[in-house]
Amino acid sequence: MPGDPVANIVGAEAGLEEAQLAAIRAQLGLDLPPLRQYALYLGALLRGDFGTSYHFHAGVASLILSRIGWTLLLVGPSVLIGAALGAFLGARSGWNPRRAGSRISYAAALAVSSTPPYFLALLLLYLLSFRLGLFPLKGFYSSGGFPDVLHHLALPVTVLSLFSTARDLTVMRGSMIREKGRPYVTFARAKGAADGRALLRHALRNASLPLATMAAMDLGFLFGGALFVEIAFSMNGMGTLIYEAVKARDYPVLQGAFLAVSLTVLAGNVLADALYAVLDPRVRVRQ
Amino acid sequence: MRQRRLIFIAASLALVLTCPASWARAQGEAKAAPAVLRIGTPNEVKVPNIFTDYYLGLFAHVSNPPLMRMTSDGTLTGLVAESWAVSADNTVWTFTVRDDLYWSDGMKLTAEDVRFSVEYTGTNNAAARWIKDTLKESRVEGRNAVFAFTKPYAALALEFATYIILPKHVWEGVKDPARYSNPDGNVGCGPFVVERVDTASGAVRFGRNPYWKGARPKIDGYEVQCYKNAEVLALALEKGDVDTYYAYAASYPYAGIERLKSTGRFEFVEKANLGLPLLAFNLKKAPFDDRDFRDAFSYALDYAEIAKLDALGYGKTATRGFVPPGMGGYAEKPALVHDPVRARELLSAAGYRDGNGNGWLEDRAGKEMTLSILIRAEQSRVAELVKDYLSKVGIRAEIRSLDMNAWVAAKDRYDYGLTIARTTPWGMLMHAGWGTGYFDSRRTGQGVLHVLDDPVFLDLADRILAVADPVKRESFAAEVQDYYARELPGIALYWNMAVTPYNKAFSGWRPDPLYGIYNIETLTAVERNKG
Repeated sequence: MPGDPVANIVGAEAGLEEAQLAAIRAQLGLDLPPLRQYALYLGALLRGDFGTSYHFHAGVASLILSRIGWTLLLVGPSVLIGAALGAFLGARSGWNPRRAGSRISYAAALAVSSTPPYFLALLLLYLLSFRLGLFPLKGFYSSGGFPDVLHHLALPVTVLSLFSTARDLTVMRGSMIREKGRPYVTFARAKGAADGRALLRHALRNASLPLATMAAMDLGFLFGGALFVEIAFSMNGMGTLIYEAVKARDYPVLQGAFLAVSLTVLAGNVLADALYAVLDPRVRVRQ
Repeated sequence: MRQRRLIFIAASLALVLTCPASWARAQGEAKAAPAVLRIGTPNEVKVPNIFTDYYLGLFAHVSNPPLMRMTSDGTLTGLVAESWAVSADNTVWTFTVRDDLYWSDGMKLTAEDVRFSVEYTGTNNAAARWIKDTLKESRVEGRNAVFAFTKPYAALALEFATYIILPKHVWEGVKDPARYSNPDGNVGCGPFVVERVDTASGAVRFGRNPYWKGARPKIDGYEVQCYKNAEVLALALEKGDVDTYYAYAASYPYAGIERLKSTGRFEFVEKANLGLPLLAFNLKKAPFDDRDFRDAFSYALDYAEIAKLDALGYGKTATRGFVPPGMGGYAEKPALVHDPVRARELLSAAGYRDGNGNGWLEDRAGKEMTLSILIRAEQSRVAELVKDYLSKVGIRAEIRSLDMNAWVAAKDRYDYGLTIARTTPWGMLMHAGWGTGYFDSRRTGQGVLHVLDDPVFLDLADRILAVADPVKRESFAAEVQDYYARELPGIALYWNMAVTPYNKAFSGWRPDPLYGIYNIETLTAVERNKG
């Protein structure tokens, strides 16, 4: 990445002499060889010290802690809503792919997936918040309290949910079309299972397997996708933290944020593995 | 059955969405009673620390006022300082602290608070490192805070209009300010104090300082509401979520002014902006090291059109003197003129001709010449215009658009021909003043061009820096502007107005050239109109 973190630290309006900048660089250890800097970073990390942000001028751990909770509150429901709605609509669409409703829902999912998140966020914000006054224009809350937070989160969660629903719907639809042609579904029908029962009791569970993986991966994707929603709704979450850290060459924040995101995605994957065991008896650990 | 289920789902959704909405509205109405001014800003507060957060530090100028301030006519006057004096050699500065200032916890502000704040800032603020490097001694003599520096710095009083004063009894316990967080209960000595910094809601709330002895504010408090994007901030203003707009060193977007006017609910404060769009030459590189080329170049640009298209009626053609009329010491210089024919004649006379007849000029050695215009994305419209004007006089140019960091890196490597950027009000005042801080080659920093190492200019800057008397300093202003007009190290593409919209429900706005409407004068005078 081109750019000097020290230039960002002193800001656009400070005019210092080169010797003064060199002193600041030395004070931060930025004059050390990269490997030595990395070793120092790892050593500090082992002591639980995530470092100090160059750009935000605050402890990295406290910065991440102050933001990750809000982002999870934004992303978590979106992943769950997306998985639930995507599974439901995708299963229906894949079970009867030629019905008009199935085609419409699939086309809508493709349209949403192809829309830039920032554009959709601004469009809904303009219509529902500005024109109709149903939702606030910014922030996680105004006065605080659960109803206030819920009111502020409703629209951004809706936007993110639309994207995760669209993604999950297309995956589920494809998976259901594949499962529907399997012999066990034909066998269930031959036994006299009604259409709905064959779908819900037999095909849905197997068709959901790729979705479980998808939902876990979504955690990582939505951290990035949340950036646009955070900017549109002026929310201070992980997306904007990473974005601003990249702009300011704030390496300590980037290292800390990527660690936090990686751990969240790993946790999501562990959950997905556990869910797999519930959904698919074949992968359960045998005693 | 299915229909009933759908109706039930829709009704539940409506209930979930509207209940919190009406609850929140009720809360808002309940809180609408006190006269609270809501200021919308794109200047984001990122951490709850008035010392380390750039924009919170700027907003804290009202709660923790600096020693000095700038009046609406640009004159420097005391704020925490009642008076100030400087030794004959401009190295020892004495600030007499006002006797009627009290911190919001009831303690009296003393000269020791001032001494502590200056030392603390020099030690802990990287941008103020010059204090640490040049402050020889600081001491308190009664109500006087005395600072002795190793070398003269005549612009110190101006510099001290930007650093906030901290309560020593609070901040002496903060050894590492970068790890300090104080969202609630900041202690200030201004008319208002920072009551709550809430980064999750994107708001900073200011309440009255109960120990303030100055002019009684006419509002009960104010909020700074931070927005991450300009479009939504404009909607918030129109919707009535905020009463006014503030952005440091910037105007309300010109393109949005007509829309606000059409609502009939807004008035506008217009103030000549000290910051300006700048076209700067890389003086260390040919052909820009050639004054004749720069002179010819200046005739190629259509300044009126640039001002019309970029400032939408809020800009006007600048002079060769660069310095805008709103700045103290402004001197009338010849206007920049658009005359492509003259530009061609001057270029030809200076040895830049189209020898091979391909329509593009070659340099003096007869080599093909392509100028590199270095910009950041926000300058792309002006850059396209400049490129077009240059092509009309036979100069080929290419645009390199980079992000902020890459732009700074390229600029510091002198890897460009010319660049288009913006100066800020403080940038125009810093160093020896009148924009010298941008050009002086001995300085470095993110927005600084450091391209001018002409001994005549450096000597002029040093002479200004050695004089503290504001009247004498202004006598140098004409000399600086003469130099700019003669040598053209940079061109002011236009001078512009800083426009601030405000809801007609409020009145009493008093902008200053440094911080616009965000100053103690405005915030103690602004009031909600009766009826």
